[in-house]
Amino acid sequence: MRTKFRVVAALAAAAALTLTACSSGGGDTGGGDTGGGGDEPFRVIAFTSGNQTPIGAWWVKAVEAQADELGWDLTMIQGDFDFQKMNPAVESAIGQGADAIFNGYTDEGSIQSIVTAARDAEIPIFAMDAATEPTDAYVLNVTTDQQGIVDQTVGALDETLAGLDGKTVMVIGHEPHAGIRMRSALAMEAFEEAGADIAGGDIQQVLSPATGRTEALAFVADYMSANPGKLGAVWAGWDDAALGAAQAITEAGEAGKVTGVDAVAEAIAQIEAGGAMLATVEQPWPSILDMVIEAMVAYQESGDLPAENFEAVDTTLVTADNAADITPSDQLE
Amino acid sequence: MTTTRNPGLEDTTDTLAIPRRSVGQTLLASGTVLALVVLIAFFFAMRPDIFLSFTNVRNILYQVAILAIIAGAQTIVMVVGDFDLSVAATAALAGSVSAALMLGGTPVAVAILAGLVVGLLIGLVNGVLVAYLNLSAFVATLATLTSVTGLAFLVTGGTTLFNMPAEFNNLGQGRLLQIPLPVFIAIAISLILWAVLRFTTLGRRWYATGGNVEVSRLSGVNVRRARLLAFTIAGLVSAFGGILLAARLGSASAVQGEDNLLFAVAAVFLGMTVARSGAANIPGTMVGVAIIGVMSNGLNILGVNSYVQQVVTGLIIIAAVTLSSLRTRVR
Repeated sequence: MRTKFRVVAALAAAAALTLTACSSGGGDTGGGDTGGGGDEPFRVIAFTSGNQTPIGAWWVKAVEAQADELGWDLTMIQGDFDFQKMNPAVESAIGQGADAIFNGYTDEGSIQSIVTAARDAEIPIFAMDAATEPTDAYVLNVTTDQQGIVDQTVGALDETLAGLDGKTVMVIGHEPHAGIRMRSALAMEAFEEAGADIAGGDIQQVLSPATGRTEALAFVADYMSANPGKLGAVWAGWDDAALGAAQAITEAGEAGKVTGVDAVAEAIAQIEAGGAMLATVEQPWPSILDMVIEAMVAYQESGDLPAENFEAVDTTLVTADNAADITPSDQLE
Repeated sequence: MTTTRNPGLEDTTDTLAIPRRSVGQTLLASGTVLALVVLIAFFFAMRPDIFLSFTNVRNILYQVAILAIIAGAQTIVMVVGDFDLSVAATAALAGSVSAALMLGGTPVAVAILAGLVVGLLIGLVNGVLVAYLNLSAFVATLATLTSVTGLAFLVTGGTTLFNMPAEFNNLGQGRLLQIPLPVFIAIAISLILWAVLRFTTLGRRWYATGGNVEVSRLSGVNVRRARLLAFTIAGLVSAFGGILLAARLGSASAVQGEDNLLFAVAAVFLGMTVARSGAANIPGTMVGVAIIGVMSNGLNILGVNSYVQQVVTGLIIIAAVTLSSLRTRVR
């Protein structure tokens, strides 16, 4: 009797946990039946590893809405940053047949097996923000202009600090993210060219994006503790790290300025409030999505692939002057 | 009549009858404390003007305060011989729940209380799974970790919650006598946990359970209840840490502070090497937390690459645990 009770209780607990896990929304690998050609619906496999980020979650919803509107037969695969789970799911969907693949925010380096499977099946991959440079993996990848982002943020610091020559600037990056890696390196070059001293002599690398804020906070707090009054600015590759850096500067009562990238609501609010957070960068994801969808529709209708396989679009520098007009990237609808 | 000696208590005092040790044994036994002293001496030698300055010591204390609380929670569970993989996730969920409620207009005190209740309930679930359903603590808390993280994503909607009331943020960012409040809170919680382990019947039962479950049971200890309480209190204490982290950062997210799990475990293991019995104990855990904090701060000040820092952290833990193992062999 006691054993039976235990078994029932264990099953109930497992069922409760399973339901809870299911309700978290990850890992939807359901796909539609495929046919292709003629009157069959246009079959699209869409996937992203970043569905747990606000922008990734927005992308999933936006693509599903577009697919509904266009009458596509969409298979949406959400990877939860787990490539061991996501890649086989996408490859399996490719094996069942599709007309096109849409990659959202997943770097080429992490999906080589998908690229190979798609190439073997002769299915074109359209992408947004999935590589920082042109690559044969995609028939089209639209992303943001990394050099433009660096020019805008470094320019903002240059203007606020009345020149960067001789100023000490900390650069905070995160190497596993291709976009952040590229713009951090470009920022480092720009600061060195402008005559700035790089705090710590190199890019300060955050180990995990999940702890980016606390890691950046510690980098900056420790640096200021050892070098009081010396830090002129912090350039961070994304807003969460920038917010940690800004908090460290505020707590230390220093005058350094910080820039980030992403234009999340919290960063915009801090920019509007004045203080350490000087600027961030808005990347126009909705218009980028429209560009990719337009190219996919053209392919659906005519079979024509885009003339260029890479496009880097301009971004908007967000400062106190225009912060009120910007839609935060974590509140896209 | 059999007298049960409490291994945890033996380790925190020199007054009990323990055989006299040689110099070599003493050095091995105090390897972790020695490592902390050596680290402090090294960084002080490298930056004598900075490292032990008031500002920097305060900086270190501020950076490890929340880790100290979560490591305290992990210590309780490890005292009973179990393991809790969900402490950091519980902390993140508690912080997220409190933040979400505050943003929805709930009074600060009620929101904090709700966060603490969430932590308590998660701990209770862990305790039931491990103590009454006999699931492995590793498997049970791994499952809880997964579900709790999912719940945190649901609560936050995958975004970062911010704009909490100033009085809440002040809990994590305010200062008393120039010392950040989280430092005082961490010290208070650590003292309470230490006192519970050191002076109460419950603490003795926990140590007895961790020492030998069967003997404890035969000695009349309600082992299941002891383990249940250990997990429940660990959940509650983790929630304290998570709520304080949200206040300290002025924001809450689903994966906030996830590195606290590994660092907390590392701190407890380092602390176990301080005790002669090898049992988890609060003073030892705090030494472990101090090692992690001093090392991170010192290496940052010296401008050491964060990848190298990670390697060095692992090596220090291996060295301390190896010293402990050598000590056990010597005994």
